[in-house]
Amino acid sequence: MFRWIESSALSVWTRESTSLIAYPAILSAHAIGMALAAGINAAIALRLLGAASEIPAAEMRRYAGVAWIGFAINAVSGTLLLIAYPTKALTNPVFYLKLSLIAVGLAVFVAATRRLEQWTSAAQTWVGIALLASWGGAIVAGRLLAYTYRRLMAG
Amino acid sequence: MVRFQMWLVTMFAGVKPIARLMHTAWGWPLAESLHFIGLSLLVGTVGLFDLRLLGLGQRIPIAAMHRLIPWGLAGFAINAVSGIAFLLAEPDQYVYNPSFHVKVLLIAAAGMNALTFYLTTYRKVTVNGAPATAPPAAKAMAAVSLSLWIGVIIAGRLLTFYRPFPCQPPDPGFLATCIPGFHANWK
Repeated sequence: MFRWIESSALSVWTRESTSLIAYPAILSAHAIGMALAAGINAAIALRLLGAASEIPAAEMRRYAGVAWIGFAINAVSGTLLLIAYPTKALTNPVFYLKLSLIAVGLAVFVAATRRLEQWTSAAQTWVGIALLASWGGAIVAGRLLAYTYRRLMAG
Repeated sequence: MVRFQMWLVTMFAGVKPIARLMHTAWGWPLAESLHFIGLSLLVGTVGLFDLRLLGLGQRIPIAAMHRLIPWGLAGFAINAVSGIAFLLAEPDQYVYNPSFHVKVLLIAAAGMNALTFYLTTYRKVTVNGAPATAPPAAKAMAAVSLSLWIGVIIAGRLLTFYRPFPCQPPDPGFLATCIPGFHANWK
């Protein structure tokens, strides 16, 4: 299975093309998408934790669309990176940790941008902490992928 | 400029303790993680303020949105510290890297742009009773800010694709994008 993906034209192009629009552009897109998704989540979390309290908390959801754009950029660029090196990611437990943290982060984000008005301030604090922990953890896990993989390729 | 670059590398290489720390098993990955968290914090607050100036989320007062900026500065500080740690640990990989030159220029430009904003329109858009819509000049600076920070991320991500190698003759010219000093003709 890994060999089959690794020998596909898309995988070979992403991995081996010397063009700047191949691997370098995909990595750049992944970092920009991260900044938008994790960054806006961090801003929402900071507001929930009491920073910039003059901002009506419920209005922060106006920026949820931009966070979703960032997430979409990373879903696409992340899939391409996975197609380029499937063995490297899928044989590494840290990759599954990263995916789990993103799933938690997304779930809390969806909750945080809906019906915020009805929550107690204690609940808002916990949502803020959960957002920071999950997205911050996903960033760290993502960065560690470059250091913790056991096998680069199957072939 | 090449002389200055070589002087910089010698200076940075002199700070041994940071380099030793960075070359431990956890040094580099930890600094990279902090650098990515810092950039997210910066883009998530400064970038959000830029989007607000551009007209997104009009019901939030601009002055209220500006209260997030100190957190962006904290993100920048995290990245300045972790970035300097990279620089001290592998000076020639940055000082001679063309992508690093572009990155530093873009950061400087973003700083100048922010300074211009604070000297010109900041008071107008944050004063009590300021209109919800920012004037065109403020919007222009917000768009420039967003573009520059995205450019900084791209230049940072491209660093590894422009790793400098030892210079080949002839000499490297005004600004070295290769590691000088190895070739007898030049040095």
